[in-house]
Amino acid sequence: MSASSRPIQPGIVGWLTHLVSSALNLPGAYRRELERRRGRTLAMTILAVFAMAYPVLNRLYFQPFSRNVFPLPFPEDAVVTFMMIFGIMAIGLNIVAGFAGLLDLGYVAFYAFGAYTAAFLASPHFGSVSVVLFSNTIQGFPGIHFPFWMLVPLAMITAATFGVLLGAPTLRLRGDYLAIVTLGFGEIVPVVFKNLAAVNFDFGPIHLVNANLTGGNLGINPIDAPHFFGIKFGSSSGIAAVYLGMILLVGAILTARNLERSRMGRAWIAIREDEVAAEMMGINTVRTKLLAFGLGASFAGVAGVFQASYQGLTTSDFFTFATSILVLIMVILGGIGNIWGVLVGALVLVFVDKTFLPWLGLRFTEISPDLPNPSQFNFLIFGVLLVAMMRFRPEGFIPSRQRAAELHHAPPGQAIGAAATMGDAAIAGEEAVEELAAEQEAIATADEAAEVIDIEGPPGDAPGRAGT
Amino acid sequence: MALLEIRDIHTYYGAIHALRGVTMSVEEGEIVTLIGSNGAGKSTTLRTISGLLRPRQGEIHLRGKRIDGLRPHEIVELGVCQSPEGRRVFARMTVHENLEMGAFSRREKVPTADYDRVYDLFPRLRERTAQRAGTLSGGEQQMLAIGRALMSAPKVLLLDEPSMGLAPILVEQIFTIIKTINESGTTVLLVEQNALMALGIANRGYILQSGEIVLTDTAAVLAGNEAVQRAYLGGD
Repeated sequence: MSASSRPIQPGIVGWLTHLVSSALNLPGAYRRELERRRGRTLAMTILAVFAMAYPVLNRLYFQPFSRNVFPLPFPEDAVVTFMMIFGIMAIGLNIVAGFAGLLDLGYVAFYAFGAYTAAFLASPHFGSVSVVLFSNTIQGFPGIHFPFWMLVPLAMITAATFGVLLGAPTLRLRGDYLAIVTLGFGEIVPVVFKNLAAVNFDFGPIHLVNANLTGGNLGINPIDAPHFFGIKFGSSSGIAAVYLGMILLVGAILTARNLERSRMGRAWIAIREDEVAAEMMGINTVRTKLLAFGLGASFAGVAGVFQASYQGLTTSDFFTFATSILVLIMVILGGIGNIWGVLVGALVLVFVDKTFLPWLGLRFTEISPDLPNPSQFNFLIFGVLLVAMMRFRPEGFIPSRQRAAELHHAPPGQAIGAAATMGDAAIAGEEAVEELAAEQEAIATADEAAEVIDIEGPPGDAPGRAGT
Repeated sequence: MALLEIRDIHTYYGAIHALRGVTMSVEEGEIVTLIGSNGAGKSTTLRTISGLLRPRQGEIHLRGKRIDGLRPHEIVELGVCQSPEGRRVFARMTVHENLEMGAFSRREKVPTADYDRVYDLFPRLRERTAQRAGTLSGGEQQMLAIGRALMSAPKVLLLDEPSMGLAPILVEQIFTIIKTINESGTTVLLVEQNALMALGIANRGYILQSGEIVLTDTAAVLAGNEAVQRAYLGGD
């Protein structure tokens, strides 16, 4: 185990120490990585630099090229921004479904909570009051106007709170039941937002007469665009918004990576492997699962705030079951349990959905206007992709070490070392040499073979065992 | 005061009355074994002590502190840790990561000496620290399960059928190690079907039948008892 994957000590001090030490170690760690896996590190560096330069390159070269020379599917600023939004969501859902192994089919609800947090707290919607806080909005302007940097933590708290509220009664359920309850939750939340348009309520000090809380079908707009240092980061500001999205996404990646390595992250993985054994090791399983739910939800909260602030509007139509499924497909295609995998899944799927299929549609109409438009079949295409993936590479594009082992090999407790080690080695690449050595060792030991036979035989056969 | 005292516990699985008033005690430094046939309620007793099951009636005390009704993780933190039946190692974690999970309940930084202690007890595990636990042989997994439970630095180590499914030579090895663990100061409550081996290393024993303790005595006396021999030792 390398030094970088050392567990983080619990508590705020532990996290701060970890943050400082990782920052200080960064140049050294990079140099070590460069020595150890030169090709891979260089490729990643080039990829990262390209990703950061993409919005600029796109504007200066790619889009003009696509327009004037030859049409190629280069994603536009809006698409790249949505890549970032869905990247954050996929990373969040990966905490719930990938790390802790809890199937959440209503993840979109938390995205909605995030978006409506922005809609309530940064728009002229509640026009009868005027609360302008650290915002560039003129004092006295109707409505509540909080700045973006305050909305993000507020949305995280809101989404996490609802995550915990949903989780508390339901996380005792297992597997399918949890999936059904979360599915229902994901359906209910947007409907509630849709229907709180004419509320009559009279209880105690609260008197609501025909109150329009959520804008109903029309939703809420305009929502203030994010605003820092005199620059707006809304949909009309193109590149700036993309970079804000990138910053949020990098924050999400770092948070998720640190969570994975923390005490909590290890507890999640233990619970996913064997909940009873985890409980026996002293893991508070209820609390740990609740935290996975709450923390996962807070990522969707951030995505929601950014989406609403970026687009300047939100309606309940954005938050359909299809969105929950889309994020889940990103996680599964990319490689459930692996942060980089699910990120790739999100980027690819948004690209295919919003850039590639429309581009393909245009090419089709150039050939003949009667040809079908592939954008209309996006979910069909994703479905086929998913089925194909499950057939040929169920662990996803970039699998997590543990998930790959789970999907390809025998259930735990069976001593079939050779096959398991070999399969993983093929995936792990660099680890292959060590792994194979271990595997050969395993085969070489003769008495182990004897044990394998023993396990599979009926338990009563072992000599020395008293009558049962 | 007994280290672990169980008073008249009744545990149910739904409507099934699995434990019908089990009373037993484990003194500091002892190895106590709980013997019984399949379905007698041995594992149920351990699961009740660990807090995975709640007794409907009765009390469990650890050094005089009542622990029944506490959550499993609280019981582990108080110093009762179980190596479960069927081993249940974390198959996709490495051997070392499994041991780290075993130390999960300890909030302080776990000294390397504690890992060394386990690796000294089970040198086979030291050779395989970076190997995935699922790829270990059955015997090694059992060693890992015991070592993992030891990492929580328990006052009482609960062992559920450590000999299950192992070759006789390995069973012998495991029991020798249990004895060593006990000699270094850990109290052991050992549940076994392999009565002969269990009584061989234990100080005292309890015989469990259909959810009730039917007999208790020192291990030597139990091993010599005719009824016990007939029922559990395969003697005639």
